[in-house]
Amino acid sequence: MSYYPGRISKHFLAPQNVGDVEEADASAETGSFVCGAVVRLSLKLDAETQVISDARFRAAGCGYLIAYASVVTEIIRGLTTAEAAAAAGLLQETLREYFGSPPREKEHCVLLCAEALREAVARYSQRVRDEWTGEEALICTCFGVSEKRIEQLIDDKSLHTVREVTIACNAGGGCQSCRPLIEEILEEHWREAEEGF
Amino acid sequence: MEAGREQMKPEGLVYLDNNATTRVAAEVFEAMRPYLNELYGNPSSAHAFGRGMRASVSRAREQVAACLGARSADEIVFTSCGTESDNWALRGALELRPEKRHIITTRVEHEAVRLMCERLERRGYEVTWLDVNEEGELDLGALRAALRADTCVVSIMLANNETGVLFPIEEAGRIVREHADALFHVDGVQAVGKVPINLADWQVDLFSLSGHKLHAPKGVGALYVREGVRLPSFFIGGGQEKGRRAGTEAVPYIVALGAACELASHFDGFDTIRRLRDGLEDTILETFPNARLNGTKDRAKRLPNTANISFSYLEGESILANLDEAGVCVSTGSACNAESHVSSAVLRAMNVPYTAAQGSIRFSLGRYNTEAEIDYTLDALRSIIPRLVEMSPYDEELKGRNSG
Repeated sequence: MSYYPGRISKHFLAPQNVGDVEEADASAETGSFVCGAVVRLSLKLDAETQVISDARFRAAGCGYLIAYASVVTEIIRGLTTAEAAAAAGLLQETLREYFGSPPREKEHCVLLCAEALREAVARYSQRVRDEWTGEEALICTCFGVSEKRIEQLIDDKSLHTVREVTIACNAGGGCQSCRPLIEEILEEHWREAEEGF
Repeated sequence: MEAGREQMKPEGLVYLDNNATTRVAAEVFEAMRPYLNELYGNPSSAHAFGRGMRASVSRAREQVAACLGARSADEIVFTSCGTESDNWALRGALELRPEKRHIITTRVEHEAVRLMCERLERRGYEVTWLDVNEEGELDLGALRAALRADTCVVSIMLANNETGVLFPIEEAGRIVREHADALFHVDGVQAVGKVPINLADWQVDLFSLSGHKLHAPKGVGALYVREGVRLPSFFIGGGQEKGRRAGTEAVPYIVALGAACELASHFDGFDTIRRLRDGLEDTILETFPNARLNGTKDRAKRLPNTANISFSYLEGESILANLDEAGVCVSTGSACNAESHVSSAVLRAMNVPYTAAQGSIRFSLGRYNTEAEIDYTLDALRSIIPRLVEMSPYDEELKGRNSG
């Protein structure tokens, strides 16, 4: 009989994606004041699409933390930063569905992973904002999406709602403070289109 | 790196957790077996069958007294476990001298003493907690300075269960006797059967021991009460143990404890245990740059069977679980359980850095361990530790060959 229950044990003994992503675009390390465990997550992202192409972890912690972190690196590959941030919010349910409920003393392991993921995504957004050198205005500072890019997508894909814009490029999917701006861009674009510009 | 998996695994488990509990020795089991079966009499009965049980209990008392170097068998009172002995010693001492409200103990005692003293502190007793240094050693000067006219009891362990560090009990006893009118209790649970004990010559008033740490079954212990100390009883009822501990004697277990003490008195295998422990400890410290010893480097001041080693920047539970998978039983000071997440109080008292305390593993050997088992354990570690180091987020610290 293994020290940990089935799936936890499997992932603990053979974790996926251990290490650091080379030239990571974002990474975050979180530590637990509860048990002293530490987990680090590093991500590689596609600058154009904001899709996570690679994710790796390091952890000094128990089998639960290692198994959870391993699974997190698996599920966030291929997600956009906005989707990953949403996944962090749902991590407790996702991991419970896959592994079953953890014992009470291991619940903080889930939170540690979710926090690392959220922090990594937030840091990436922060970096994109800081490094923004484009001429045109940056509308969504969470995901670094410019006015020009939003206009282009509205035109190309014939987008009509903020929701459609968010799905297309993440803009408006973070702190949501730019939603009124996107609304304005949408209105202006379609008004101009109607007026026949 | 996979050498550990390739090597033939010795039969069954590799049990390196003898400070937690030990296997009941075959000789001990044989000695107790008839008392679980046909020899079921009550030692308090007047008939010959009962008197026979009384004789068996007396013989066991002699065997325990001999193992402890007690002056008289009457100084041995059988209890249910080490915790009962520890609890009784402290509570009994306080009840015996109610006007004295000061207790002296150390920060590294077993919970049976430490948590009892914490509770007494909450109930208004004054407790002086003696510190240990970074190697886990006690400062006798501090003991001497702490002794007062109203000190009721001093409680100090002989051997630390986590690190194996031995405290100089003989000297401590002299200091207590010379400078105070206090009772001196020694928690000897981890030491009996591992180091020579001579209570007749030591200035010890009360001494606790537990059967299952020395190849008797769980459920039996004893308290040595020096002749002349009228320790009030804790269990009230029948007149067993000369009224000192009521409750029908657990004859099979008492017989087993006697047999285990007899076995311990004549055990000559400690050179082997020491050699295996030294080999395990040396090889680990040489092989893994992040390994550091917890407890004094002076092996004469440690139990011959214990090695407490920290693998810095790793988590002890993950090491333990991997060893468990390989069939090797050890302990860690840091595993999360329903009761606690905090790291070992003993290592904290020794000021062991947090990142090292997190990765502490206790290897405690016993009389049944073999060289092949130690080699197997080392091979398992050679496969496990580098894998966890590879995974640790403390990669910068680990690169710097840091053991701290």
